[in-house]
Amino acid sequence: MKISQLSYVLLSVSLVLLLAGCSGANSGGKSSAPSASADPAAGEKKTPVTFTYFNAAVAGKDANTNETVLGKLLEDQTGVNFKMEYLVGDLNTKLGVMIAGGDLPDVVVPDSGIDKMLDAKAFIPLNDLLDQYAPNLKKLYGPYWDQMASEDGNIYVIPFAASNGFVPDMYQPGAFYIQQGVLKEFGYPKIQTLDEYFDLIKKYKEKYPQIDGGDTIGFETLTDDWRFFTLTNPAPNLNGLPNEGEVFVDMETKKAAVTGDKDFMKRWLQKLNEANSEGLLDKESLVAKYDQYIAKLSSGRVLGFFDYGWQIVPAVQNLVQAGNDDRNFIGFPLVFEKGTKDQYLDPPTFVTNRGIGITTRAKDPARIIQYFDNMVKEENQKLLFWGEQGKTYEVDDKGRFYRTEEQIAQIQNPEFQQSYGFSYFSYYWPMGAGLFEDGNAYFPDRQPEVVEKSYTEGDKRILEAYGLKVFTDVYSPPDERKWYPVWSANKQQGSKEQLFEQKKMDLQRKWFPKLILAAPDKFDAMWGDYVADFNKLDVKAYEDWANSVVQDRLAGKKR
Amino acid sequence: MARKSWLGKLAEQKTLLLMSVPFVLWLLVFRYIPVWGWSIAFQQFRPGTSPFDQEWVGFRNFKFLFQDENFYQVMRNTLAMSLINLVLGFVTAIVLAILLNELRSVVFKRTVQTISYLPHFISWVVASSIIVTALSTESSGIVNLVLMKLGIIQEPILWLAEGKYFWGILGISEVWKNLGWNTIIYLTAITTIDPAQYEAAEIDGANRLQRILYVTLPGLKSVIVILLILNLGNILESGFEPQYLLGNGLTAEYSDNLDLFVLKYGIAMGNFSLATAAGVFKTVISIILLFGANHIAKRLGQPRLF
Amino acid sequence: MKALARRRSASDRIFDFCNIVFMLFLAAVTLYPFLNMLAVSLNDAMDASKGGIFLMPRIFTWYNYEYTLREAAIFHSMLISFLRTTIGTVVAVFCSAMVAYTVSRQEYVLRKWVALAFILTMYFNGGLIPTYLLYKELHLLNNFWVYIIPGIISAFNVIIIRSFIEGIPEGIIESAKIDGAGDFTTFMRIVLPLCTPVLATVSLFVAVWQWNSWFDVFLYNSSNINLSTLQYELMKILQSSGGSMTQKTVGDVFSNTGGQAMNQVTPASIRATMTIIASLPIIMVYPFLQKYFVKGMTLGGVKE
Repeated sequence: MKISQLSYVLLSVSLVLLLAGCSGANSGGKSSAPSASADPAAGEKKTPVTFTYFNAAVAGKDANTNETVLGKLLEDQTGVNFKMEYLVGDLNTKLGVMIAGGDLPDVVVPDSGIDKMLDAKAFIPLNDLLDQYAPNLKKLYGPYWDQMASEDGNIYVIPFAASNGFVPDMYQPGAFYIQQGVLKEFGYPKIQTLDEYFDLIKKYKEKYPQIDGGDTIGFETLTDDWRFFTLTNPAPNLNGLPNEGEVFVDMETKKAAVTGDKDFMKRWLQKLNEANSEGLLDKESLVAKYDQYIAKLSSGRVLGFFDYGWQIVPAVQNLVQAGNDDRNFIGFPLVFEKGTKDQYLDPPTFVTNRGIGITTRAKDPARIIQYFDNMVKEENQKLLFWGEQGKTYEVDDKGRFYRTEEQIAQIQNPEFQQSYGFSYFSYYWPMGAGLFEDGNAYFPDRQPEVVEKSYTEGDKRILEAYGLKVFTDVYSPPDERKWYPVWSANKQQGSKEQLFEQKKMDLQRKWFPKLILAAPDKFDAMWGDYVADFNKLDVKAYEDWANSVVQDRLAGKKR
Repeated sequence: MARKSWLGKLAEQKTLLLMSVPFVLWLLVFRYIPVWGWSIAFQQFRPGTSPFDQEWVGFRNFKFLFQDENFYQVMRNTLAMSLINLVLGFVTAIVLAILLNELRSVVFKRTVQTISYLPHFISWVVASSIIVTALSTESSGIVNLVLMKLGIIQEPILWLAEGKYFWGILGISEVWKNLGWNTIIYLTAITTIDPAQYEAAEIDGANRLQRILYVTLPGLKSVIVILLILNLGNILESGFEPQYLLGNGLTAEYSDNLDLFVLKYGIAMGNFSLATAAGVFKTVISIILLFGANHIAKRLGQPRLF
Repeated sequence: MKALARRRSASDRIFDFCNIVFMLFLAAVTLYPFLNMLAVSLNDAMDASKGGIFLMPRIFTWYNYEYTLREAAIFHSMLISFLRTTIGTVVAVFCSAMVAYTVSRQEYVLRKWVALAFILTMYFNGGLIPTYLLYKELHLLNNFWVYIIPGIISAFNVIIIRSFIEGIPEGIIESAKIDGAGDFTTFMRIVLPLCTPVLATVSLFVAVWQWNSWFDVFLYNSSNINLSTLQYELMKILQSSGGSMTQKTVGDVFSNTGGQAMNQVTPASIRATMTIIASLPIIMVYPFLQKYFVKGMTLGGVKE
């Protein structure tokens, strides 16, 4: 669950739509002052120094920033090098001993261990340093500044990705995927509801009981380990709700309620139960591992499934390589009832409880903040995301950034990403997201000029058939939800809400596959048993917690 | 008087003392001193906070463990899987050691020995992926294919979806993975058996089976008893990797054990206190079992541990 | 034994035949995972994710090995792994044997207490954080010796060696004592050589444990690359390859690849490659040690 949420943070961040486009409004006059004040000390400030950086959020290859092209350029500007270490094993274990032993690096990206760090007072307050040294950070994070402070009024971590403007993503977020061949067979019908979707699958499977010598699989689920959320998340989506984790929030009353026992959950499971009784569901997918899931999707025998674009990358690649576009997929944001507005896309959000902080052990916090401030200057952000003009990107006569085929190929090489530094700087540092002031995208894969080059002929054909420009065009724009998403709020270690989530997870992992495999006439009774078990959990405590999160966020407080 | 003679003896044994006491000191430092950490079990431990500022919660962590509505089930699964592994592990390893000993070709024997211990070096992640593939209902599922060819089953069975098969699958998987490894120690013990005993048995007209029963097995007895006592103390350690990797929601009622519980509610939540409390609980049970088993061995006149 | 071979009865032959058939079956079942890993590691990673690779690679490539071994750190980490395994094994076997000898001496007055003190440690540990703080006090953090010193003796090995020493006829040890040998000399000259098979076994146990350990690197030495071991370096490569699929950073795939992901490796292919790289050296140890199992003690001549 933890990892899934992490991926979510990243993905939702990457999909952020920005409300206010006016973040740069009052920046013009200010920017010169601090740089002047920094001048006298400039000579001294360039003395080379190495800080330590620990990233608990993601695995990676340990390195010094100055061993990369980008890091070297930043070192030339600031004299600062970071010795980066990435987490290899369990986060809680590593952070636990680090904190207990007081062996903290200078800078830490604690990920979900943020609670532990704050609890142990391991991060220093940054307010004064930011005021003194960080005009660029203040400008970039301006619209979000109020949300960054903790309850005591101090800023301890700088969140990632202060977003500016919306660019659709190449990868689809959650969607009901369906084989393009199925759509082609029936003349590219528009599918909006779950019933239509399963009807198409059923008709196709009846017509083609076998694909490439193997049995056609109507619908595949993914339930392996922490990926179990792939089975539960569609329920609120189908009801026109975004995915907020364990709860949904009423737009009118702003009341949060758990999803686990609601009718839309039942309806979704009942549909799967029905699909199973009709032989459309792959029973084995309820016990299979992720590897098998990918293997099945890659085989071209699977007609439909619900998933997130980032979880099916290897399968899609295999299918593209196999060259039969009919076997590839496109996803739709399905709903139960025609006319329901889908809310699969994440509303604008700024995740405040993940970020980067400076520890009490840091030798020279001012230098670190100055480094951060330097890296978020617009020209440096372009450098960090796009690289060097003429080497890793080009600019056309309209000022639009693009990449040549060769550049794209070069950048796809993981070794190049490492040696150049892209893999180290593209996240987990203070940074922006969305659009630069000149209209280019922060992330090259959001830049239409780059994305279009990566579409296959098959992609283009299906996009054309549905009148879409990019795949994310299938979604309705998200409504504004200032509290979104509830799941990203911190849960205290050992708290009732933390416990509820684990217990609920255990319960659903036990019950949902059973419900899906049950004889259809037994489904209702079994659902009743499940709901009874569910209500034995401390639902109220969880809803209270969720409501306090919603209220705090509506009031503009950090949660 | 007695005391003096004890000291006198000790003085005579100064070489033995010198050979063991430094290691006992090492033991105290590296194994016994960290036991102060058990205090964490009685706190709501927060790393980075001084021991004096920790919140003391008495037996709350233990209560959480024992009062969980699934505690009974978790203990049942732990004990069941441990016992199955213990019995299967012992029997198969001893049988294999004896059978290997009966092979006449040394080269063949060594080759089989080496090959059979290979799966020990494969992580459970890899092993479980092979097991899941073998048990699949797809065309790659060799178990279903063979059983259907033999006419034992009519259609493929989704083995991993049925709780009642889980312990069996786990037991067989453990044997497959660790059989060769577990055998090593018995093979070592067999080398201590005096070849003259086999010759004597031969002269007495003992056949193969009788030689195994009356020479080989008795020669293994002390190792078997000692390992049995040691392993009985570990009865609450049924591991978590294979259960975690092979188990799923449908089999959770059979696969969730103590270690998994601690993993989910202790380690994954960063709750060091609960993890420590579970460790303390396991230690207490282990030591009771250890002394109990040792005592029984003593009563039965078998070799014992201490 | 040769005499026996000549007089093989029919039932003996049937037994031998069945035994050999069984052994072949066992060998096939236990060799399979390795061959499968080998095939997967030599197969194109994306292609392997389609499944269906059993004994032979479908699309042959060395890329997984190139990808895994391209890090200079790997080779240095192999050296560290080799050092910790050899030093750790020699020290541990010697120390364990010495303690085992003392607790095997019936006349030793502290015998029972020393044995019990060791045995009890098999069933508890103080936990992660106290151990970490202890090592910090002892300056074992970022230190090679953290691989060796905390592991010099395992109670299990002491017990195993002890039971073996107890099997040595007392007469041999007594006669050494009568010849004027002290306990240490007896231990070195008489007991150790007689214990070769069990020492070989324990060496194997310790060597495998040392070779496979990575948790101590993770906890105590992770920030010093010069002390990193092969297992830990492979773990890093594995997790960062897995990371690219699961804990996807926006940056890794999304921002800099122009969309089309570029994974030439997958966690499964790296795991297979790493299994082969990491286990081949240690697997070699066993066949080498086997000759000590067979020779064993030639006690035939010594009768009590």
